[in-house]
Amino acid sequence: MDNYLPIFVLLVLGFLFAALSFTASAILAPRRPSVAKAAPYECGIVPRNEPPERFPVRFYLVAMIFIVFDIEIVFLYPWAVEFRALGTFGLVEILVFAAAVVIAFLYLLSNGALEWGPARRSAHWSSARTTASTVLHISPAPSDPRLSQASGGEAPEHETPAEELAEGSSEAPARAHPHEAA
Amino acid sequence: MISAIAATLDPLFDHGVGLAVFLIVLIRVAVAFAALMVAVMLMIWFERKLISDMQNRIGPNRAGPFGLLQSLADGIKLFFKEDLMPTGADRRVFLLAPYLSILPAFLAFAIVPIGGLITIAGHRFELQVADPPMGILFLLAMSAISVYGVMLAGWSSGSKYPLLGSVRASAQMVSYEAPLGITIVTVILLTGSLSTRAIVDAQAAHFWDWNLIRLGIVPFLIFMIAVTAEMNRPPFDLVEADSELVGGFNTEYSSLRFALFYLAEFMNTVTMSAIIVTLFLGGPDGPGFPFLRWLWPILWFLGKTFVFLFIYVWLRAALPRLRYDQLMNLGWKWLIPIALGWMLFVAGLRINEAWGLGILGVLVVLVGPALYRAVALGKRAGHLGEPRAAVVASPGLAKRSGLPAGGVPAGAVPAGGVPAGAGGSGPVHAPKPGSGGEEAP
Repeated sequence: MDNYLPIFVLLVLGFLFAALSFTASAILAPRRPSVAKAAPYECGIVPRNEPPERFPVRFYLVAMIFIVFDIEIVFLYPWAVEFRALGTFGLVEILVFAAAVVIAFLYLLSNGALEWGPARRSAHWSSARTTASTVLHISPAPSDPRLSQASGGEAPEHETPAEELAEGSSEAPARAHPHEAA
Repeated sequence: MISAIAATLDPLFDHGVGLAVFLIVLIRVAVAFAALMVAVMLMIWFERKLISDMQNRIGPNRAGPFGLLQSLADGIKLFFKEDLMPTGADRRVFLLAPYLSILPAFLAFAIVPIGGLITIAGHRFELQVADPPMGILFLLAMSAISVYGVMLAGWSSGSKYPLLGSVRASAQMVSYEAPLGITIVTVILLTGSLSTRAIVDAQAAHFWDWNLIRLGIVPFLIFMIAVTAEMNRPPFDLVEADSELVGGFNTEYSSLRFALFYLAEFMNTVTMSAIIVTLFLGGPDGPGFPFLRWLWPILWFLGKTFVFLFIYVWLRAALPRLRYDQLMNLGWKWLIPIALGWMLFVAGLRINEAWGLGILGVLVVLVGPALYRAVALGKRAGHLGEPRAAVVASPGLAKRSGLPAGGVPAGAVPAGGVPAGAGGSGPVHAPKPGSGGEEAP
């Protein structure tokens, strides 16, 4: 049976299964929406930051490098199916093609395009590491403006949105504190 | 009329379709669908039960005998749970994503050959939902679509853990699709056909004709690892990573939408185990007995698939989750080169031994060391660009911390991730001169 009809029937069946399940769930399930329930998950606290819009460029790099290999695979499939007919000629062609891809791959590797290692914070992780250096590393220096501001404590420039929310200020009634809402 | 509809839907349906054929198709699909659902339920129960045995617990034991009905009970419970949608969600995509996840899971099962030929009411057919000529390419297509399910689910949630999970997921699934595709090419080199039935038939005679043995065990291992990563199963479950991302891409999903993601995940496990059996272990091939001829292939197929299901649960119990960089290194620096090299080696051997050994020689003598050198260079290049490497070098910090200004002398530092000998003769840590003062007060 070299045809696609069963696959299409299966597609319809699968779709019906999912759609009917959702319908049944919509009928059977309770519907008591509340602000806290609709808030994005944040381990029970009021969400503070928006989800990031920018990502490490390495993710994009992986996608781009993948295309090189994807193209290679696309060309490998017809060759593999016709391998016996093409014989040595096909093999040589594919070797040349593979060599081109491998050279590009080696170039990418040697450029560190596929390096995901944990970011090396500093040379503190050397044998010369001491408690002093560690403490200095994680806390800002005394002359740091951020530090003086934080220790002074007076007059924070502005409240973060999350603080406003936590206090349940009237400007943001849409996002009550989870405990109050529940 | 049915035949007209079928003909428009399916241009390959050239031999005409009567009501009987259509009914057979319908029954086959329905049976396969039901079997798949039952298999998935049993798989969920089996995984929970087995993993609790491995962890010295009892596991589900309330619903039905041995807790067999636990998955059914959970499913019914989820019908009655409230369906939530976070405020920041992209409504349409959020609703679409579960479909994109479960439909490929259903469809991928269609190409798996379950048994041999059987005859019902004068119609001979293969025990398999469909045997399209593109066969195994269909599997690749479906696994590519399921990436969208995961990615869009996370992206549309408007919440950060799902987003992180889905970005990880797309990079991971895309990375492991390359070795997956290349190992399948290795199988096709022997078979010369994309059809899964042809792949199974080519391995039918003896067990030493199984691709597992004929191709050497390497493509099988690579395929197994790549498939595990592709399904996001442990130890490659960075997509869900409960301990860091809550639930990953499906954190914001509740009620039946969550259930369908869960179902899709286990369905993929079952399907991929079956695909491994099809590609490398001869599918339903195995010794039969003269009575009940049609039954033995099915039992063989189920038995082999079960072994892999067991292995997947075992992997989950035994192995800790990989770190993301380990995952990417394994995929790109090990699996892809080895898969590609082995594929060329097999292709060479198919021509004659001289070609095969020649290719193997070139790979071992030239490409291997070049790869090693490139990775070593890449490690250096990847870290020189880190601006944070310059913190100690700032004169003020260095003075206070009692370190010599200008940082630790290059070369004295054992590079964190780089083995001391791995081409690290150069100044691994030497900060760029210009960036020295960046973090200084």
